[in-house]
Amino acid sequence: MRRSDQYRFVVILAVLVILQFSLRTKLGDDRMAPDFLLVALLIYTIRAQPGKSAAAGFLVGLLRDALTPASFGAGALAHTLVGYLSAWSKAVFFAENLFVNGCLFFAGTWIRNLIVALAALVAGKLKADMVGWELLVWSPIQSLTTAVVGVLVLWLFGRHLAIRLGDA
Amino acid sequence: MARAASSTIRRNTATSSPRNVLPLGADRYASRGDTLLFLACVLLSAAAMSLPDRVRDPVARTLRQTVLAPLLALQQQSELLSASLTRYQGMVAERDSTALAATFLPELRNENTRLRALLGLGQRLGSGYVAAEVLHQSLPTDPLTLIVGAGRKQGVRPLAAVVSPEGLVGLVSAVDERTSVVVTWAHPEFRASAMAADGSVYGIVAAHGSDGPRGWLLELRGVPYRQLVPEGTLILTSGLGGVFGRGIPLGTVVTVVEKAEGWEQTYLLRPAVHPAAVSHVMILIGNRASLAEAFDTAAVKR
Repeated sequence: MRRSDQYRFVVILAVLVILQFSLRTKLGDDRMAPDFLLVALLIYTIRAQPGKSAAAGFLVGLLRDALTPASFGAGALAHTLVGYLSAWSKAVFFAENLFVNGCLFFAGTWIRNLIVALAALVAGKLKADMVGWELLVWSPIQSLTTAVVGVLVLWLFGRHLAIRLGDA
Repeated sequence: MARAASSTIRRNTATSSPRNVLPLGADRYASRGDTLLFLACVLLSAAAMSLPDRVRDPVARTLRQTVLAPLLALQQQSELLSASLTRYQGMVAERDSTALAATFLPELRNENTRLRALLGLGQRLGSGYVAAEVLHQSLPTDPLTLIVGAGRKQGVRPLAAVVSPEGLVGLVSAVDERTSVVVTWAHPEFRASAMAADGSVYGIVAAHGSDGPRGWLLELRGVPYRQLVPEGTLILTSGLGGVFGRGIPLGTVVTVVEKAEGWEQTYLLRPAVHPAAVSHVMILIGNRASLAEAFDTAAVKR
């Protein structure tokens, strides 16, 4: 990847982080709005090695846990797993296709929410019926919106992210 | 599938610089270093989950006050901007509402003046009247007959005179329990015995018609040919016939109708009251012979 592409890559990830803290609250219900931070993480994991992806996921999750101390550590664990699995599965299974990447965003978001919900359930901070609602109603919607945003970002800036699409 | 993965790796390798090249083969999937890093992150996460509150909270607070501080400030500014926009829209809506209300201000002043005049009339009449609100309908024929909000229950009877502070509006034609139908002077069947304010001329007042350039005027019929009624003369009810009391303003003379009918003259009157403009009226229920002192005839002439 050229140096200019590296800068663009960083800028795009930074823009996604900024959107998470500026635009996201205006996109409706917090349980349905797209997770720009997770999009940034998953875009990073598309290119990075599993170990670095896990570390990035851990950092992202830890920062998120700082904003929701009630489930401290659960986000870090969830993002670590999602980051690692995303990078690993991307290398093993996925072709570089827009739809497949959309599925990756969807699955990543849903699995992240699943792990956080299960951790909260085990810790007794979430009731079982709420977990069902979370995983079957809210989480799929958020996964969908996140996948849409992720696909849009890849479609618009995939060239600058050194991610080739459409020739799977 | 392995072939697809292999081709993917090859493509990545072809487009990346050596520093960012993803390793070929098993190393790309997960090298030992990757696995160790992953396990370390998992362990750290588990440790974070098991932290007691007294340790966890300071860590979270430190993260919020350092790394997350600019992002939280950004979010706060974003919320402030959003709130400002909402407040601005609210203020614009309030300003528009105020501007709209201000357009009705002259109308409110007029209505206030009319109500004050009505109160004055009520004081002058003393008793023998029922105040009623006009229930206007959105029909072109509305000024010919009015529905008023007083009926039998309030003591209204058929043929009672209906007045406003300016003069005669009409008479009650039908009475219901709580409402009444008023035939205004604009109705083709309306008739009233009338006289000049000084009592020099007598005649019958009727509607001139609601069509044409002289629409919504009254006629003073039956004036002897040799009696001239000057322009601006105030015409009042004469009290003859017993329907209307004496002295209720009907209108002022505008001109004489050009077409003379035998030995009689017909004059056009500008009505004292326009039925469409009336919002409140008084229905006279007493048998009062003269009402001249109750009306401000000077105001009617103006």
